[in-house]
Amino acid sequence: MARTLAMFTDISLCIGCRACQVACKQWNELPMEDPEWTGTYQNHAHFTDKTYRLVRFIEKPQADGRLQWDLMSDVCKHCAQAGCLEACPTGAIYRTEYGTVNINQDMCNGCRYCVSSCPFGVVAFNHDTGRASKCTFCNDRIHNGLGPACAKACPTESIQFGFRDELVAKAKKRVETLKGMGFRGANLYGADSNEFLGGLNAFFLLLDKPGTYNLPDKPKLPQRNVFVDSLLSVGSAVLVGLGAIVAFRERGEGKGGGGNA
Amino acid sequence: MLKTPDWGMMIVFYFFLGGIAGGSYFTAAIADNFGSAKDRPVIRIGYWLSLPLVLICGILLIADLGVPARFLNMLFMFKFWDPMSIGAWMVGVFGLFSFLSCVLSLSSSEAMVTLRRKVSLVGTLAGFFLASYTGVLLSATALPFWSEARLMGALFLASGASTGMAAISLLLFLSGGSAGEGWGKVKRADRYSMVIELVILALFLGLLGSAAAPIIQGQFAPLFWGGLVVVGLVIPLALDFVGSKAKALSAVAAVLVLFGGFILRYVLLMSIQA
Repeated sequence: MARTLAMFTDISLCIGCRACQVACKQWNELPMEDPEWTGTYQNHAHFTDKTYRLVRFIEKPQADGRLQWDLMSDVCKHCAQAGCLEACPTGAIYRTEYGTVNINQDMCNGCRYCVSSCPFGVVAFNHDTGRASKCTFCNDRIHNGLGPACAKACPTESIQFGFRDELVAKAKKRVETLKGMGFRGANLYGADSNEFLGGLNAFFLLLDKPGTYNLPDKPKLPQRNVFVDSLLSVGSAVLVGLGAIVAFRERGEGKGGGGNA
Repeated sequence: MLKTPDWGMMIVFYFFLGGIAGGSYFTAAIADNFGSAKDRPVIRIGYWLSLPLVLICGILLIADLGVPARFLNMLFMFKFWDPMSIGAWMVGVFGLFSFLSCVLSLSSSEAMVTLRRKVSLVGTLAGFFLASYTGVLLSATALPFWSEARLMGALFLASGASTGMAAISLLLFLSGGSAGEGWGKVKRADRYSMVIELVILALFLGLLGSAAAPIIQGQFAPLFWGGLVVVGLVIPLALDFVGSKAKALSAVAAVLVLFGGFILRYVLLMSIQA
């Protein structure tokens, strides 16, 4: 495996210009979708099969009654332990040699299990193709020595692209700098490989708690539920099976039509 | 914002019919191995009910993909930890056992009956799997309502058992087989399954806590409490105790159990996808 690539999105630098959102649309030839009124300047409300990068406009009321914007360019996290990848029954969702997570469109069979297995609500179903789609980390570009279109387009380096280890070191320094400037809430989301999901290959510098940006505090791999659920299903099978055995077995004569426990 | 998979009525029907197929098969297999010669109608109906149902299940699953041939894409992969992958395979495995048991049930020669019993013991495991894995599949998602209680698979299995047994008893009644000893036995087994299902359902709701909101309050609540709990479980249990003499009442109870089993799958799937 090649050295892991990553995107680092530093929301303290985002100016909300949506160049990333547009560059993503253009490079990936994603069709437009109707704008919708979300109550803020944000458009669109969620990731869709046509929107892989999305600038969130988070409005935070201040003590003096005014609103403060936190601008956060959101994207597929390319988790080191990816729920969508584990859920995929065809192997269409795979990990590239750079550590990113991609969907092989030809193999996807449209079962939509990955859609509900993403802890971040990223993967979307494309009704035109009948297949799942999401950010590809510009798979074509990174295999040709280019960074993702969104990172390339970002005018403030809010989105940075590079080797993961280098970016993490850079991000840690940036948090310290911001804290020194008085941004007490500055924190890294997904940079630490031991914290959750084995670390995110698209990680973030946030200015507030993850929940502020629609991110779960401690996302977990959905497949972690399978073992215990299966064990309890076996327990249920044993109970039901014993009940049926008791009901059907021959017990001398016993014409107990009334039914007892 | 988490996304739902937008599974529709085809998947609701698949979950429902897959539960009956698994339930009726393992009921027949248990009757085959632990019952007597008088339980033959139960055994036959159980096996022969599971076969068309599992065929319909396969068709529903394939049709739901939109482009049917894409079903083949699943055959290149086997992930034992992934309910969607292993489930697709097991529908086929269960279908094979169902087919074998049906064929073997045509003969009454000593050797064939022995073979059928052995086959059905292994097939029972596939039946249990088919009835329960759909629940485990839902719980292995990121959606809190589906994934926060660890009993979804157990609940689906108990429901598969109660609906499978109800389907057998109903078919027995309709075919005039309710006079036999098998009828009383399958009704008794059904009662046990319903009690187990009620207990698991209560534990399930307890474990879900506030995440149960989509079914215990709001527009799906009447369907859940009224359709599943009261009409689908409590009333049939009561009818069964009263109706051990009036067979028609027991048949009505079986219909209600089947209705409840469908409502269970419907509310669990649709309440957060509407």
